[in-house]
Amino acid sequence: MTDPNIDFSMVLASAVHDMKNSLGMLLNSLDELRGEHEQSLAGSDKFNMLQYEAERMHNDLVQLLGIYRLGENNLSAHIDEHFVPDFLEEHLARHIPLLQGLGLKYSIAADDINGFFDEDLLTGVLNNTINNAIRYTKSQIRLIAREEDGYLVLGVEDDGQGYPESMQHTGTLSFKSLDFNTGSTSLGLFFASSVAALHSEGKRTGSIKLHNGGSLGGGVFEIWLP
Amino acid sequence: MNPSDRKDAVNPFGKLTFLVVDDFENFRLSMRQMLRSCGADKIELVAHATPAIQYCTYNHVDVVLCDYNLGEGKNGQHVLEELRHKKLLKRSSLFLMVTAETSKEMVMGAREYQPDGYLTKPINRAMLEQRLGSLIKQRNALLPITREIDRENYPEAISLCLQTLPKQPRYKTWLMKTLGELYFMVGDLAHAQKVYDDVLNQRELSWARLGRCKVLLANRNFDQAVDGLKALIEKHPDYMEAYDLLAEGLQKQGRSAQAQQVLEKAAEHSPNALLRQKHLAELAGANQDIDTASQAWRQTVSLGTYSIHDNAEHYLSLAQSLSDLSEGDLDEEGAARSSEALSVLTKMEKHFDNDETIGLKSRIVQCRLHAGQGRHREAEKILTAVSSELESLEELPADMGLDFAKTLFRMGREDQAKRILGDLASRFDNDPDTLQKIENLLDEPVGFRQKLEARSMNRDGIKAFEAGDLDAAVEAFNKALAIVPDHAALNLNLVQVLMKQYDQNPEPALLAACQQRLDRLSKLPEQHRQHRRYLALTRKLKGLTA
Repeated sequence: MTDPNIDFSMVLASAVHDMKNSLGMLLNSLDELRGEHEQSLAGSDKFNMLQYEAERMHNDLVQLLGIYRLGENNLSAHIDEHFVPDFLEEHLARHIPLLQGLGLKYSIAADDINGFFDEDLLTGVLNNTINNAIRYTKSQIRLIAREEDGYLVLGVEDDGQGYPESMQHTGTLSFKSLDFNTGSTSLGLFFASSVAALHSEGKRTGSIKLHNGGSLGGGVFEIWLP
Repeated sequence: MNPSDRKDAVNPFGKLTFLVVDDFENFRLSMRQMLRSCGADKIELVAHATPAIQYCTYNHVDVVLCDYNLGEGKNGQHVLEELRHKKLLKRSSLFLMVTAETSKEMVMGAREYQPDGYLTKPINRAMLEQRLGSLIKQRNALLPITREIDRENYPEAISLCLQTLPKQPRYKTWLMKTLGELYFMVGDLAHAQKVYDDVLNQRELSWARLGRCKVLLANRNFDQAVDGLKALIEKHPDYMEAYDLLAEGLQKQGRSAQAQQVLEKAAEHSPNALLRQKHLAELAGANQDIDTASQAWRQTVSLGTYSIHDNAEHYLSLAQSLSDLSEGDLDEEGAARSSEALSVLTKMEKHFDNDETIGLKSRIVQCRLHAGQGRHREAEKILTAVSSELESLEELPADMGLDFAKTLFRMGREDQAKRILGDLASRFDNDPDTLQKIENLLDEPVGFRQKLEARSMNRDGIKAFEAGDLDAAVEAFNKALAIVPDHAALNLNLVQVLMKQYDQNPEPALLAACQQRLDRLSKLPEQHRQHRRYLALTRKLKGLTA
């Protein structure tokens, strides 16, 4: 039995919205808990995993909603000028409790530049990328920002194994590239790539680059914005 | 970390006073804990909107951290509006909205007041220190400017903005936005435009495009403004301010039907902005789209419950439009609308009981509502009471007089209605808006459905006349005049056609008919826009009969 009045994607979207907010509350409590029991939780793998996975789900849901709005043609980039080092610091700050809990070092290497981008969209991309880097790095992560060829480059570097050959790539991803069979759906990359594409200036549009090396010798994620 | 460790001389948090508004005690406490560990000292916690506003009335606050969702009652946006509107919070103080949303859509779209920043839950100490720290740093750097804005010394604020620009490139966006607004506020449109052009020359930014279109509108460059705004909306379908401005532009171009469509679309995207609903209601009312108008008034009233913009006029307008809709409709729908209107009026009287005229305004509409449902005894009873009450008033305000005249027409007291309108016309002969309303009511003192019918027949008549079919034109105008016999333009249209017929076939009966129509207009007030045409046609008729 199907009710034609049910817009299933709409139902999904509101459920996702709800779950996302619940996870937000959960994350808040985790932060508080960590603060209250700093001693006993400092090196707890289980607690760190709890926080990491909750953070990951939260990011996924944020991206899912973003992609839903993209499909509804309801997402446009509200580009404004931002002071890049402040922006990066702010987003790193959110992950500091977990980074410290895991004993990972973190740093920012950003030039004192202003950049043009949509703050909210880039927030989603950065959170996800930082979260990803936390998972795959060995001992540290670094946020970078520079200007190159007239583009603003924001990036996250780690000192882990780096991206496998098959994932290294430059440009934009299509929805078809999402592979639900391999476990890693690349949802985050698809979202990042879509966000990059929403940023355009004249004939130039944004894109993402995945490669290995960088200043830490591990994986490097970069988003290039015109 | 021990809070006392952090209180050094350069600590940006220490000197400031904070107000945390959140309905969850846990969140309030943890926020205070985090603020303290950032070095803040003066922190007040409240759970709801009312104590928050109360606190700001009597205390100076530098930073408000307010949750958007405060449970039942006012939300964070209401608090922001009230604080800024009543000037309880200075421009130099920060208002930060705390939301559980990554997207700001719930908060967005209220065009009047924007918070200085958003904090998205979950919030941890590191985030708070970083984000708040940089906002406070920005506040301190811009304090000389915001202080002058608070003192309403705009020229000084402008010159400070100009001085700060080269020194503080990191606040360039804020400075350019503020500069554009300040120039606009003091009426220096040329410089405002230059600010926006400078930004746009570097980069197509939507706020600058919007600002530029606002300047174009103010310069009466309607076509360019409308084109610019349409392109902006095309690119950013969720930019609500652009819809509001576009509607304004279309209205100024005289395209009020299109303007209404634009606002309807905006209200669909973001239905919670009271002022937009109000604008839509007024526009739809003027377009005689009473269905849409009453729906938008209903929204305006309901959004007003917790808003600083709540106003008795919204209730009254809702009741008036429901009265228009239900008039003479004795079916279920009409009865339901009529009783909704009565309960809206009751609510209004209770809500605004400190306004002395509110009962009177209410009863003027009540009378029409009863009459419209065939309850003539009740209507007559109210009318008698209202009439004697109005006599004791020294001077009848324009809006009340107009509405009373409308009721009198419905109750068959045409002479009394016309007397009141004549009196108003001479008292308000410097007020074109009021004169226009008087004219409209004199021309068409009937319900809006009949009004629409008469208008469509008038259009048919004009079409037939232009096509050369004089007989059809006469028939159409006569039908329209059967509904609105005193309509000035319609009467004159008919006279013109009859004269044309006389040209082709000089029958004296035609001239007699002309004379009859012109006699109807013998009391046309001099202020009426058709008055000159009336005089010209009277002279012409004299020439023909002589």
